[in-house]
Amino acid sequence: MMHNIDERQQALLLNEKSIKKRKISTGIQYTLAILVTIFMLFPLYWMLISSVKSQEEILRALPTFWPHEWHFENYKNVLQRANFSKYYYNTVVMTAGILISQVVTGVLAAYGFSKGKFKAQKFLFLLVLGALMIPLQVTFIPLYIMFANWKLTDTFLGLILPEMVSPYFIFMMRQAFLTVDDSYIEAAKLDGMGRLGIITKVLVPMCKSTLITITLVTFTNGWNSYFWPKIIAKNEVRRVLTVGLVHLRNTFAGLDTMNNHEIMAGAVLSILPVIILFFIFQKYMLTGYEKTAMK
Amino acid sequence: MKKMLLLTAALLLVTGLVFAAGASETKTASTAPAISYEVTEPITIEWWHALEQQYWPLVDEIVGEFNATNPLITVEAKYIGNYATVNENLVAAHAAGSGLPALTVANTPYVAEYGKGGLTEDLTPYIKATGYDIDDFGEGMIAATSYEGKQVTLPFLISTQVIYYNKTMADKEGITIPSQITDMDAFMKKASKLNSDGTTDRWAIIIPGWDQWYFEPMYLNSGVKIVNDDRVSTDLAGPISADLTKKFQNWVSQGYTYWASGTSASSNMRQNFVDQKTFSVIHTSSLYNLYKGLIGDKFELGMAWLPAGKTKISEIGGSVLLIPAKNDQKTKNAAWVFLQYLIGKDVNMKWADGTGYIPTRNSVLSSEEGAQFLQRKPAFKAIFDNLDEINPRIQHAGWNQLATIWKSYLDQIMIEGADVDTNLGMMADEINEVLADSE
Amino acid sequence: MKQRIPIQRRIRAGKDFATVLPALLFLGLFVYYPVVQVVRISFTNWNLINDNYSYVGLKNWVWLFQGSGTKYLINSFKVTALFTLGELSITIIGGMIFAVILNRITTSFSVMRALIFLPKYIAMSSAAVVFIWILNTQNGILNFLLAQFGKAPVNWLGDKNRALFSILMLTGWRTVGYGMMIYIAAMRGISKNYYEAASIDGATKWQQFTQITIPILSPTTLFLFVTTFISAMKVFQSVDVMTAGGPYRSTEVIVYMIYKYAMEDFRMDRASTIAVVFFLVLLAITAATMKISNKRVNYDA
Repeated sequence: MMHNIDERQQALLLNEKSIKKRKISTGIQYTLAILVTIFMLFPLYWMLISSVKSQEEILRALPTFWPHEWHFENYKNVLQRANFSKYYYNTVVMTAGILISQVVTGVLAAYGFSKGKFKAQKFLFLLVLGALMIPLQVTFIPLYIMFANWKLTDTFLGLILPEMVSPYFIFMMRQAFLTVDDSYIEAAKLDGMGRLGIITKVLVPMCKSTLITITLVTFTNGWNSYFWPKIIAKNEVRRVLTVGLVHLRNTFAGLDTMNNHEIMAGAVLSILPVIILFFIFQKYMLTGYEKTAMK
Repeated sequence: MKKMLLLTAALLLVTGLVFAAGASETKTASTAPAISYEVTEPITIEWWHALEQQYWPLVDEIVGEFNATNPLITVEAKYIGNYATVNENLVAAHAAGSGLPALTVANTPYVAEYGKGGLTEDLTPYIKATGYDIDDFGEGMIAATSYEGKQVTLPFLISTQVIYYNKTMADKEGITIPSQITDMDAFMKKASKLNSDGTTDRWAIIIPGWDQWYFEPMYLNSGVKIVNDDRVSTDLAGPISADLTKKFQNWVSQGYTYWASGTSASSNMRQNFVDQKTFSVIHTSSLYNLYKGLIGDKFELGMAWLPAGKTKISEIGGSVLLIPAKNDQKTKNAAWVFLQYLIGKDVNMKWADGTGYIPTRNSVLSSEEGAQFLQRKPAFKAIFDNLDEINPRIQHAGWNQLATIWKSYLDQIMIEGADVDTNLGMMADEINEVLADSE
Repeated sequence: MKQRIPIQRRIRAGKDFATVLPALLFLGLFVYYPVVQVVRISFTNWNLINDNYSYVGLKNWVWLFQGSGTKYLINSFKVTALFTLGELSITIIGGMIFAVILNRITTSFSVMRALIFLPKYIAMSSAAVVFIWILNTQNGILNFLLAQFGKAPVNWLGDKNRALFSILMLTGWRTVGYGMMIYIAAMRGISKNYYEAASIDGATKWQQFTQITIPILSPTTLFLFVTTFISAMKVFQSVDVMTAGGPYRSTEVIVYMIYKYAMEDFRMDRASTIAVVFFLVLLAITAATMKISNKRVNYDA
């Protein structure tokens, strides 16, 4: 009896102790997590805050953590005088072009490589995978010369062409299509569906989440692309946001702290669509990379 | 059927490719007789410039006036970036044969490279056909803008290397900018202020390392042949160059001066000057108005000629105007009209007044107008006294590459304290290679 | 009747083939064909400013391996290797630490995780200009904060010993959340039984972490290692915007070196030669990592 009570008391005590301990560790975890989040968000906060300050305020020796006056005209200046509205248009068209062509070619090829049957299929798929190992950073010189000969510098076609097919897209979609059982396809065929019908009405709906995820990745990669646009579209007529932002930084050459308020406004403008998408499609965008990780 | 179609399309693409590749290697020579240089129908042309935001109101004013008085021609001014960026974009557009501006500025050392590469239109026939008077430009200006006797460019905004110094400080402490490189040791000691721990409280002078143009005159005046007469080698590893380089290195290591290099070098240097943390800086005369504005009434701004050696020359900086050769004749004709306007005396004086660029015309420099100009900008006396000493840049198709290599080695020598003789030797090997490749 | 089957099958195969043809054509034209070209150009003296070029044999190769280009190639590989090492450490170690801190199933934590992951989607150019501003020597907020602790202003981007570190700050900011997400996804997959058994055996939390979590996560770590390695090797944009390879080549990664020769000096010949070398190195690394991960998979199985 005695023994029993003793044990129970002990257990109770232990429990209290561990609850206390757990509470402390939870508290520590919360504090750390919040600190980490603040730390990670600070650059974005600083960008946003700087973008609405006046030139005078941004150059003060004592930085202000909250703007004294709100200067939204920084945005107007950047859109109009620094031509960001033009860059916006260019970026939208370029990204749309890349997106549409990658989805079309990607879904088609993914079908062929997963559900189709033809000669040298394995070898050709290896060729697609092999392309993953040849980055633009290796091939841009001949591509640039080729495009210059074709008069494609400073054109939308020049911006889009090298990005029209993504081996990564094909690979991911093929993986998804492979998980769809062939019986669905046989059934669709019996219903008299052709290839396009099977792709659009059976396979794509069944692999919707993968498609959305990869499409979002394609979108952000296109929107944020810099290397190729910098090379092929130097001129203002087809300059995209990423390149335009760096250009804006140079308009005060040798005076590079003078217009940081406008540069920050430009930076906010150029990431805005992606941030909005991120919050709308959070579910997909957070899992996007995990999915690739699971492969 | 689908497959066939696709295959055909593929074949077409591939053949197109082969032709495209083939076409690039053959050069088409056009010899059209009796060209008309008249502008007969409305045309819109693009002008590339490298004038930063602070100049945009002036650019707008000048272009606006031209557009208002020339009903047939509409000019669109485009800021491209600094001179290096303009060069990158221009050469790229030239290689593509598309996206070329009707008219563009170019930094003075590119004249030979462009002339040799066939990028620029020879302006001589235009000058003849329209009877344009270029004799009002000094000989040096004409030499600096032509290549192998052809007038491939014309002078636009011209500046030269100068020393800006704190005149208030100079008067108070009795410091003068030395006229000879040999006197610089004494100057360095006197004008700088070192802390007891060896750090620098005030520099004597800051030397821009980000562009070799700023220190070039000291090498040239000491007698260094940056490009030898054989055109394929450099004397930059020779004894005179090594001595001068060692002098610079010593001044840097003593803390008298610092070698401004890197992305923010220019603004850091300027800030140090405005904050009176340096007695003087080497910079371009074109920034005179900017310095004046930044300093306000903190102190008085002085301008001096760079210390001399055997000679006391300086070099033409700033930009020239050129018409890309691959444009069609109509565009070229319109560009020629606009070019004449831009280099005209009135427009030139607007720049000279609004910035620190030097008036380009003899008729201004040596006349009552020049005296009036000096009254408005007395500091420019240092330049007006030495007008005959302003020389053309060294012209070599490999110059740009040479400059990059030179700067990068001097950076290592000055900032890292790398050994002068070994590094200059390696540098000369590299430079000789690119000179030979480009000649 | 018997003969029609193969024909039908052939038509079917043809149609199937047609679905992959556009992709193959583009890859052929814009990926494989340029590889051949870049090798060809490496044997010429192509300067973009001239209309013509000729073949010069091994001249560029000699320049790169036994000439004045050699030390720059070595320098670039060294810088790239350092950068890669840095990005790997931040993604893997930082990602692991963040994962441990943020691995909790509540709404507030999932919001925080999303916010930490967000930088991955911020365009590098925007992020870079913000970091340039934060790191500004005179007006930057970082130097201001350091000054509160009595530190003298630091020249983050202009000092050759710090520039690469500063670029890594930006890179780390963008990738650490990615490492975290991958690790958390993997941690969720670890069965609770392991930990319960271990705690009965009296293992401390730290022991549980080092002896259970880390070993079980090793395939995830390998995955992160491989993907980060390859992408870090190709770094360009952050360097281009923040330092342009400087000060004096201290941040000149290999892609920047290629870019500089090609698009600033217009030496297509020299740039192509470096590009070919870079390609071969990438291939070798890819092959090596594939071999390692294959071994790994077999071992685990």
